[in-house]
Amino acid sequence: MGRQYEIPIGAQHISLLEPLHFKFTTENEKIVATEANVYYVHRGIEQACCSKFKFRQVSFVVGRVCGLCSISHTTAYSQVAEKLLKIEIPLRAKYLRMLVIELDRIHSHLLCLSHVAENSGFEALFMKTMQYREFSMELLEAVCGNRIQYDFSIVGGVARDLKPQVAQSILERLKKFIPQLDELMDIYKNNWTLSLKNKGAGAITKEDAMRLNVVGPFARAAGLAIDVRNETEDLLPWKQVGFEMITETSGDVYARNMVRLRELYVSIRIIENIINGLPESALITETKAFPDGEATVRLEAPRGELFYYAKGNKTQILERLKIKAPTFSNVAAMAEAFTGNEYGSAPAIIASYDPCLSCTAR
Amino acid sequence: MNLASYRKKSPWILHYNAGGCNGCDIEILACLGPKYDIERFGMINTGNPKQSDILLVTGPVTKRSRERLVEIYAQMPEPKVVVSCGACACTGGVFRGMYNCEGGVDQYIPVDVYVCGCGTRPEQIIDGVVQALGILEQKTKAMEVSVRLQKEPLKEEGQINRRNIADQIKPALS
Repeated sequence: MGRQYEIPIGAQHISLLEPLHFKFTTENEKIVATEANVYYVHRGIEQACCSKFKFRQVSFVVGRVCGLCSISHTTAYSQVAEKLLKIEIPLRAKYLRMLVIELDRIHSHLLCLSHVAENSGFEALFMKTMQYREFSMELLEAVCGNRIQYDFSIVGGVARDLKPQVAQSILERLKKFIPQLDELMDIYKNNWTLSLKNKGAGAITKEDAMRLNVVGPFARAAGLAIDVRNETEDLLPWKQVGFEMITETSGDVYARNMVRLRELYVSIRIIENIINGLPESALITETKAFPDGEATVRLEAPRGELFYYAKGNKTQILERLKIKAPTFSNVAAMAEAFTGNEYGSAPAIIASYDPCLSCTAR
Repeated sequence: MNLASYRKKSPWILHYNAGGCNGCDIEILACLGPKYDIERFGMINTGNPKQSDILLVTGPVTKRSRERLVEIYAQMPEPKVVVSCGACACTGGVFRGMYNCEGGVDQYIPVDVYVCGCGTRPEQIIDGVVQALGILEQKTKAMEVSVRLQKEPLKEEGQINRRNIADQIKPALS
């Protein structure tokens, strides 16, 4: 029995993008217990959405819940509002929403991978991944008009159409990106130095993942086949555009990297299928109705399952809006998976969870 | 070359998210990447407030992060420059008036450069940080003037004359 020390990380730390506080209890450099503290960025968005903003404005406000997956938030809110208004959106709008969600997934996964590389001490791979990531930001800017905070989905449809030359440039850039992705896959899979930091670090078993309600790439790396894209067909037709489930078995940082990299191939295929088979129709369904009743929506954000609940009362202002973000489900497992690891690999493990605390705290 | 000129050539950046949406933070990360590459100005991202010259703040200041923000600012050595990145760091933006938010960074610490936009583009961040470099130089000069004016050390007030401090220490050591 060695002496126990308490080591804190955060709220401000170089390996953290956002305020997050972990208190590790260590014994001989091994982590024996972890305390997570995530609510530094609570802003009160849910309350403002139910009092200050009208229901058509809320889709722009909930985009500001999170800058990494803003399209997932705006789309999920638009879908829940459309359920309350009882309208069906045009097919082209559905496909364009899926297109932007998948482009967003590419940039989010590459950001996470580069962050893991940086926190594992591999600065050159961080630079390389960030360099390859820039194409997705340029494409998002060409499609939506902004690099982040797209405001692409609005209640009833989408805000912009996809121009033919933009669609053509997306296909060309994706074709260029595939060999770059192969190169990244090779490095993340076979690099010996990186494997020392990543293989076996932050592992979680399938049973623990099931018990602690883990979602997203974190769960799929542990072998749980959980993906909302596999379950719901009514709102966005994922299976028509070639969705495929990706799972790994070992549940460590290495497996999470592999899940994210292999999901990028799926995303590329989905985007190509969407552009090649984009149906022609209107972009938006107009209505003068007011939201009424209750509705829930689930959507697969880059980090896992995003859940929206809304309740309307036939006025401009919603009665209740509830957001449950993917990281909120993962916090318990995040604290658990540290146990038994070296303290030195903690930053890489934190990055591999891909935590999004502004989603969690809202 | 003295310390001031090194500071101009290689300012170190500290980044703190005071409750924003991560959008501006990933753009700051993109600035560190190869396409925008702020290291060509000699800037490097550091995690230590005691070594930094420029503080990049994003987000409307939430009630829980404001003490951390003020503490980080207080730990930075003079001269220091604060750049607020994004609409919500400048004015509160869309979060203004929400119950757990303050309206912007400048309610708590003095801000030198305001960078607008939601989200801020990397070009704007680079422009803001380069403006901050000019302000850092002015602040450095202002600090040096006050030291030069004090030819005699004011011992009763506890101040130290930095100009000839080496000459004073040398006989004591030998």
